[in-house]
Amino acid sequence: MSDKIVEVKNLVVHYETDEGVVEAVNNVNLDIKKGEVLGLVGETGAGKTTIALSIMNLLPYPPAHVIQGEVLLEGSNLLEKDKKEMRRIRGKKISMVFQDPMTALNPVQTVGEQIAEVIRLHNQNLSAAEITKKAVDMLETVGIPGERYKDYPHQFSGGMKQRVVIAIALACKPELLIADEPTTALDVTIQAQVLELMKDLQKNSGTAMLLITHDFGVVADICNRCAVIYAGEIVELGELAHIFDHPMHPYTIGLFHSLPSLDKDVERLRPIPGSVADPTNLPPYCSFYDRCENKCEACRSENPKLIEVEPGHYVKCIKFVKGREG
Amino acid sequence: MAFMEIRHLKKYFNTAGGVLHAVDDVSLDIEKSQTLGVVGESGCGKSTLGRAIISLSPPTSGQVIFNGQDITKLGKKEFKKMRVNLQMIFQDPYSSLDPRMSVSQLIAEPIKTYKLASGKQELEKKVNDLMDVVGLASRLKNSYPHELDGGRRQRIGIARALSVNPDFIVCDEPVSALDVSIQAQVLNLLQDLQKERNLTYMFITHDMSVVKHISDVICVMYLGQVVEKCNAKDLFKRPLHPYSQALLSAIPIPNIHVEKKKIKMKGELTSPIDPKPCCRFAPRCPYAGEKCFLEEPKLEEWEKDHYVMCHKKPEIPSRGEGPAEA
Repeated sequence: MSDKIVEVKNLVVHYETDEGVVEAVNNVNLDIKKGEVLGLVGETGAGKTTIALSIMNLLPYPPAHVIQGEVLLEGSNLLEKDKKEMRRIRGKKISMVFQDPMTALNPVQTVGEQIAEVIRLHNQNLSAAEITKKAVDMLETVGIPGERYKDYPHQFSGGMKQRVVIAIALACKPELLIADEPTTALDVTIQAQVLELMKDLQKNSGTAMLLITHDFGVVADICNRCAVIYAGEIVELGELAHIFDHPMHPYTIGLFHSLPSLDKDVERLRPIPGSVADPTNLPPYCSFYDRCENKCEACRSENPKLIEVEPGHYVKCIKFVKGREG
Repeated sequence: MAFMEIRHLKKYFNTAGGVLHAVDDVSLDIEKSQTLGVVGESGCGKSTLGRAIISLSPPTSGQVIFNGQDITKLGKKEFKKMRVNLQMIFQDPYSSLDPRMSVSQLIAEPIKTYKLASGKQELEKKVNDLMDVVGLASRLKNSYPHELDGGRRQRIGIARALSVNPDFIVCDEPVSALDVSIQAQVLNLLQDLQKERNLTYMFITHDMSVVKHISDVICVMYLGQVVEKCNAKDLFKRPLHPYSQALLSAIPIPNIHVEKKKIKMKGELTSPIDPKPCCRFAPRCPYAGEKCFLEEPKLEEWEKDHYVMCHKKPEIPSRGEGPAEA
């Protein structure tokens, strides 16, 4: 057995809209290893959430179409499973925390009942009392007093609601937790509390995590590895030291230059010129070509593949192909 | 005399639960051609302060003295003349633009309203110049907001604010809806415009790295009050108010070699409705003593040009030492 929990292979997902075909995910390969925290970083529309929804098999059909590829969990392809089989997997093997805790909870059900629901679904042999006890324990694990079991979501603040969502996601000790911008809607001091909680829970339970974010600060805080995604493709993938200490893809480098710094005094930022590539009209060559400061004629000749430039560090740029570095 | 003097500004809202003190007795000076950054978490009153200063929502009490005139006392007609000097850039470029107006109509609107062009030709020239200044390609003249991305839309918002040649602009979270690569472009644009046109900004944001980058002086707000005010560099080197210290320590930094000691804050924001006469941060403060719950502290000058609102001056270590908290 390998140590990979989930493998995404050659995934291509399109959305068919009135304005044309949106090429949201273009040939993504990704594996998530046992117990690791993998960060998926990219800007709006890069395809981060589509990848997450593909793993959960929650893509809306239509408009989404999986053109090719598979998502392997324990060797079987999740994209081929029917609703009933998926229901047994979601919450038990893989679960997900969504960005907005305000809309992720059912407003007319108590938070305790919402945690109990997932426990009951996956442990049919437990008695009602045992289920309630487990749900109360879970509530306390995420730092909410058990007395609040019978409270409704509107009685909680944003940070507390996100804790409830995390409790639901982790109630059945899944092997993989997908967290889609879990702290983006929260204030920075509350974000710090929630990240701390997620780090602790992750360490204690050994659950692997796919953390989707646009914030490199969050990645540095919590992840082991990091993938940078642009226009539906992974452009760089590596250990944190690779990405933060010597990023190689021009897009990753550009992102770091765009960030205002807290520890250094920078007079002027160096933004990436232009705007994000139009996913309805991607070029057949490197999709970052138009914005790249380091482009050359060869960049227009082909769409380069993700290449391993050093052990564990992958870059998708023609400059690193065939030893043409420079 | 400062360019703009704000004295004892209050903005209260009557709610079903009582009087909400959104901005409570704020006094500030803003110097010409400088940027005053205002930071704080959601609900601290930073946007309300910005709107009250330019009488977009008239303050409950207090004075705003601009060019020797108290603008809160002006009549409707006089105020309309004043309005061209006091403009605003709004947070959300998606909802602050009329979807049924084209780019050129949107930019022409304020010029027409204030009769700043003598004829069609002059109007067109002004619109073209403004589009050029904010970096919008002239081919976009007849486009509608929904056809443009967030960065371009925010450029329209900036062009509209500039169109009447203001002296003072309140920028209310102008980049928080934008991706980092675009955010950097807009921040650079705002800085360039400030230099060229001698503009004075009040820059409202929740993003500490953005505020550090763009501000000369920073105010930290908590529940309607300014709790710390100083030079931008000083705040990041030596935050003195316990809230500022906790806030700064909570920011995730995109650098894997910075080991940060996080100061944990208890609980969440307390209610701004009918606050008791005590330190509003006391319930969450690691230093809070008896006095903090009985008496409201005053904003005092602890060091040169460094103002802090706190009772616990002797006990507060400078940053780095941090409080001994589990």
